[in-house]
Amino acid sequence: MLKDQVMSVVFDGSPLKAMQSSHTHTPQTALSAQELSQEIKSFISGFDTVQGRKLSVREHARCAVRLLRSVPACRGAVLEHLRGVYDEHVSAFLHNLETEGDASSGVSSNLEDIIQEVHGVLSEFIRLNARAWAPLVSTWAVDLLGQLSSKHAGRRVAPPSSSLNELLQLWMSCAATRSLMEAYSQCLAAMLAWCPDACVDALLDTSVQHSPHFDWVVAHIGSAFPGTIISRVLACGLKDFCSHGAKDQGLMIMGVDKGSRVPKIGSVVGILGHLAGHHSDSIRKELLRMFQESLTPSSPLSPTSSSTSWESSPQLRRVAVPFLLQLAAMSPNLFGAVSAELVELLRPPLLLQLQALLQGLPREELDNMLGLAVHLISQSPSGGAQVLRFLADTATPASVIISGPTPSPHEGVREGCDRLLQMLLLHLHKLVFSRSDGVEGNPHHSTSSQPQRVIPFLEELQSHVGELCAETLRLERKRHLWLHQLLCLLSVYGGPNVATEALCQLLTQARSPEELALAWQLHTTLSSCMVGLIPAAITRCVAQIHTHTLGPRQLRQLMLNLAAAIQSQDEERRSAVSTQSSMAIQVGSAVSGHLHDFAPLLLHGDPAVTHSAVRLLSCSPLPRTSSPAHLLLLSRTAVTHFFLVLRRRGEGGKVGRDGGQTGEAVNCSVLLLSRFAAYSPLTLKAVLQQIVEGALHKGNADLFGGQIADMSGAPVPSPSLSLDLGASLLDINCRFGTTVNFSGSVWSVFHAGVIGKGLKVRTSTQLLDPFEVIQNVQTLLTVIIQCCSSSGLNGSQPPSDPDEPPPINAEAAKVIAVTLVENVCPDVANGELSWPPEEHARTTVERDIHIRRCFETHPVLFPLLQIVAAGRPALCYCSAVLRGLLATLLAHWEASREASSVDSPWHLQASCLLVSCMGEGQLLPPVLANVHEAFPHLTPFEVRLLLLAVWEYVRGNGPMPQKFVFSSEKGLFCRDFSRDGDVSRYVAPIHSVLHKNIDRLGHLCWRFQL
Amino acid sequence: MSDIRQSLLPRDVLSAAKELLYHLDIYFCNLVQSGRQPPQVDSKTLELVEEFILHAPKDRNTPARRMSALQELHLLEIMCSCFQEQSRDTVRQLMFSALFSLQGNQADESRMALLGKLVSMAVAVGRVPILECAATWLQRAHRVYCVRLAQVLVDDYCSMVPGSVPTLHNIHNASPRFCCQFITAVTTLYDLTTEELTPPVELLQMIVSWIQDDPRLVLVTFLNMPLSSSQPISSLDVTPLGGLVRWCVKAPLAYRRDKKLAVTNGSSESDQAVGPLFSALHLSVLQVLMLLPNIFNEKGLFGRLALLQLESLAALTSDLSRLLDQADKQTHTSSADTHALSQLVLDRLAQALQVAMASGALLCSREDLRTICSRLPHNNLLQLVLSGPVMYYNNIHTPPLAFSPHAAHSPIPSHPAHPAHTPHTPLATHPSTHPQYPAQPFMTGMPFPFRPSH
Repeated sequence: MLKDQVMSVVFDGSPLKAMQSSHTHTPQTALSAQELSQEIKSFISGFDTVQGRKLSVREHARCAVRLLRSVPACRGAVLEHLRGVYDEHVSAFLHNLETEGDASSGVSSNLEDIIQEVHGVLSEFIRLNARAWAPLVSTWAVDLLGQLSSKHAGRRVAPPSSSLNELLQLWMSCAATRSLMEAYSQCLAAMLAWCPDACVDALLDTSVQHSPHFDWVVAHIGSAFPGTIISRVLACGLKDFCSHGAKDQGLMIMGVDKGSRVPKIGSVVGILGHLAGHHSDSIRKELLRMFQESLTPSSPLSPTSSSTSWESSPQLRRVAVPFLLQLAAMSPNLFGAVSAELVELLRPPLLLQLQALLQGLPREELDNMLGLAVHLISQSPSGGAQVLRFLADTATPASVIISGPTPSPHEGVREGCDRLLQMLLLHLHKLVFSRSDGVEGNPHHSTSSQPQRVIPFLEELQSHVGELCAETLRLERKRHLWLHQLLCLLSVYGGPNVATEALCQLLTQARSPEELALAWQLHTTLSSCMVGLIPAAITRCVAQIHTHTLGPRQLRQLMLNLAAAIQSQDEERRSAVSTQSSMAIQVGSAVSGHLHDFAPLLLHGDPAVTHSAVRLLSCSPLPRTSSPAHLLLLSRTAVTHFFLVLRRRGEGGKVGRDGGQTGEAVNCSVLLLSRFAAYSPLTLKAVLQQIVEGALHKGNADLFGGQIADMSGAPVPSPSLSLDLGASLLDINCRFGTTVNFSGSVWSVFHAGVIGKGLKVRTSTQLLDPFEVIQNVQTLLTVIIQCCSSSGLNGSQPPSDPDEPPPINAEAAKVIAVTLVENVCPDVANGELSWPPEEHARTTVERDIHIRRCFETHPVLFPLLQIVAAGRPALCYCSAVLRGLLATLLAHWEASREASSVDSPWHLQASCLLVSCMGEGQLLPPVLANVHEAFPHLTPFEVRLLLLAVWEYVRGNGPMPQKFVFSSEKGLFCRDFSRDGDVSRYVAPIHSVLHKNIDRLGHLCWRFQL
Repeated sequence: MSDIRQSLLPRDVLSAAKELLYHLDIYFCNLVQSGRQPPQVDSKTLELVEEFILHAPKDRNTPARRMSALQELHLLEIMCSCFQEQSRDTVRQLMFSALFSLQGNQADESRMALLGKLVSMAVAVGRVPILECAATWLQRAHRVYCVRLAQVLVDDYCSMVPGSVPTLHNIHNASPRFCCQFITAVTTLYDLTTEELTPPVELLQMIVSWIQDDPRLVLVTFLNMPLSSSQPISSLDVTPLGGLVRWCVKAPLAYRRDKKLAVTNGSSESDQAVGPLFSALHLSVLQVLMLLPNIFNEKGLFGRLALLQLESLAALTSDLSRLLDQADKQTHTSSADTHALSQLVLDRLAQALQVAMASGALLCSREDLRTICSRLPHNNLLQLVLSGPVMYYNNIHTPPLAFSPHAAHSPIPSHPAHPAHTPHTPLATHPSTHPQYPAQPFMTGMPFPFRPSH
């Protein structure tokens, strides 16, 4: 029973299955044996025996397809016949292209459907039974593709075999080749599962046979199956390379024609190069894997070698590295893909392996490889910096101080790297210099048609100049020598731009004279072939300053370096070494052109920067010509800096640090100001004016012992209590309208506070240490005196005794005088030089008080006056100030009810100083000028009497500059009092006072003899 | 014939071959007409064939000329019509053997290639004479080459060209002799040891339907074989029975293994139909075996010709024991399934053995059977078969149904393939190595503890 059941199932099932299969697989009606035999006959003869006529190409092809479907034995013949059909289609296609579509497109489309049909059948077969059909069809397709592409390679429309992409485009637009390609891809996809080797080997064999016309196929297949193809192609190339040996290698470096035998490596490069477009990652991985695999010691137990066999052969492993080098040399693409990661791979263990491998090679081959490697490095468009760092790191001899990031490598490896690096430098040297030689050699050709040869390595390093400079400046053993050499090459290669950059970087980064020397070495090397390097470098530095790309430290370093450079000039001059002086002079002149660019740095927030700036400016020569705007800017900043430095010195002194530096800064500042003042009348004027104004400025007054005097007697409030009075001068002005009475008006009210609001709040002022004040005043005076005395106003410095201070220049003193007047005396009314009668002083009480208060708050005014006095006849211009002060003093002494003048110390001192100044300035004859010696011994009234005499004299003999005459023997202006009126008239009160106090003033009598 | 060579040399490949064929035809006609007995192909002719048709390299200096595939097809077509038009069987046979009988030289490869194509083409276009010649060739040639020819046909029609199975199916109408030899070759080829050597389903279906339609097809060669004819050494078996028995017995295990592979490939539905096919085949084989006693009696060969060789059965049982062992080790989960399969296998083996012995196709003693089956796991039916009828089990010298080689004195002295008159050495008993199976020892005098379930 059971078996019956089974059998019935079988009977039902088997025909059904057969029918199904026959139905699905053969859509057309099955042919009888007779018909088939006819069909075969027709196919063989190309002649329709039934209808008695010749078969057309289409019919013939159709017949072939039918046979392919029904008679297995015809398979080979049919495929062979189809080759012709495909070929015909390709011919028609290309012809059509060549005639630009003159012939109707029907020619090609005629066969295109047949191609489609064949393709359909084949792909159906492959789909149904890949195992049987894929090897067959793949071999056929590849062979046919190879045949077609080399046969039609010479056609006019066919692009040259070197342009893979165009070829690919052309062939993929042709139905026949596209169909073949698809069929092959299908086969390959199916076969990859069980025998990838066979199909790829066939592909490569064909590739070799039809190279290079066939490369497009491999490339296309490769991009469809990157993983498989890439490794196979490499392995195949390696085997070929190994078998061809190193002889070719040498030839190919030289670019010798490959001759009759075309090694596969060309194809390998072409294919991989094409694939690199989309699969550079896979290629890179594969290449690196090959590299690593070839180096790792072969272990017979490793099962990984099953996929590709090259790992297992020691000979192939040995050749792998040269092969890869060769590959890289032939294709920049591949090299570019690998180089970056390769360097990272080269860790000490691997290097040791590499060394072990290379030791086994013969000398000649090794040299070849080294040359190749050098060539590659110099041609590598990217990663050059990495390579360089690696080489330098590895080649740097191990020192006690471990500098590199990697532990010191094996000595052999180090030597190898050393050698490589030196060869690289040599090679680059040759390239760089032969390049420029070539240009010079035949300028007609090379300038226009042949651009300068590009050296990618240097090209890339150009953007790393900064790092290179930094590395060089580390001054590590051999490394800085190499790098310095490289820097030179780079500069020569890159032209002025790079050279400037390098120099600029060195100038900015050098920290010591030794390091700075590298910059000069570089310059010395380059100066032979480049002009104007230093000015350009300085300009670039300045540009960097302007763009704020430099940090404070770098700024400081840069300026110190420049200053050092300029100062070296002086030393050289001293030691009479003129070889390098030109460099220092160049630096000096370059810096001088940019003084106004450095000037703002004087006011930089960082003291170190300002210090370096002042140092640079103070030692730099001044430009021959400069615009007034720049000069004014420079003078203003210099003066501002001066006061800043003074204040800093004070603070530094208080804190107790940086004493030396600030002191030096002050000295520099003084030097700068004096030099600058000596530069031109304009600068002198500007400097002096600004110094004086600055000294009197509210902010700086305290430096020189000044106190902003409060008229109010209100106590100093606690700092927490700050109240806004709500008083506004603007409001008051509005309220009072346009008529403002200055004398005794709201102004005076504001001095002491607003009426109704109580006294003005006192501000607490911090008084400086008197010692500091004295020091500051001394410094200020020094500056002013230096400015005044070193001025080039006279044109020539009179030869004078070096011990004796040079005389104060009259013009300079005049500037000071005028500035003083402007600052001390706010009211220009009654500003004429000649003095009115004493009674008239009442009209100017307000102004006079102001003047007196100025003198009170600014003790420094008296020394200034003294300076002015020394620069005769400048004191004349201070006439108004003197008059005002004298007027207030007269008023004081008149009102004073003290017993002795000593009881009003300030007034006494002021009177003495005033009179002595006027005497020094020769506003008074010596007799009158000496009266101040008596003041301390007199009563206030008597002092007033004497001062009145002074006033009278000046009123009678006006302080006019034209009364002074230049005496060339003294180098000074002098006043001849004999030309003025009789002095004795004014001396009478003096004598009276003498008489009155003869007991105390006896010793002074001789001073008042006419 | 040697003068022909000079005239053929300048010709192109195809026309030289054509001309040689033409000359051969005439030559063999003359040979047959001359009545010289037996007509034989001389070596000069063979050399010419090898040079101009098979293109074997004559010596190392001259490069071999090759035909293109188109030319080859043309030549095949000419051969087809040549054999078709030749009316005399003898001449045809002579031609065929001149062209394709194996010479054991370099040319054999191209000879086989050409033969494969010719036969394949003859199948396609239904050239009966060629198939008949090929059937004879298959009887004479070494089995390795026969298998290769079968392989070519199976590849061509069952795997390469989809939908061409019906064409091959037709050969049992066109030439039953060829068909029978084909089945023998195919069963020899596919011994189910590996996946590669498992017959395609299409082929299986075809063979099953052939045998179901006409069970005697299997015996065609045997029936047509003259009594006196001698089998060449290592040629194919006379009938495919041995191979078919092997297929049926091993199939459940072999396909089970395949199924395991196929599950991952997702093509298991075709294997589902395989089971019933083998059941049907097994039935047919048993039926064919049942036909044998009459035929043996007609020919007077009963008990003198073993169509099933004991050696091949021994190989089969040892294979089986190994496979069963593996199956048991591999599947721990579905042991019930495994058990059912192994029982099916053993049942089929027992049935085949019993019927073969009964029909005189297998000539051996039960003692021999016990020896070769000793390593198999327990099976009721097999136990029953091995023990034989109760009345005879004690007397091993007088086997009731089968003739023991020890006792049989073969009247056919010219039967080299059959080791009938050589003293049979009983196969060594192997100690049981299957602890998990109850071994299959012969239990003397033991009644069966339970009855077979079916």
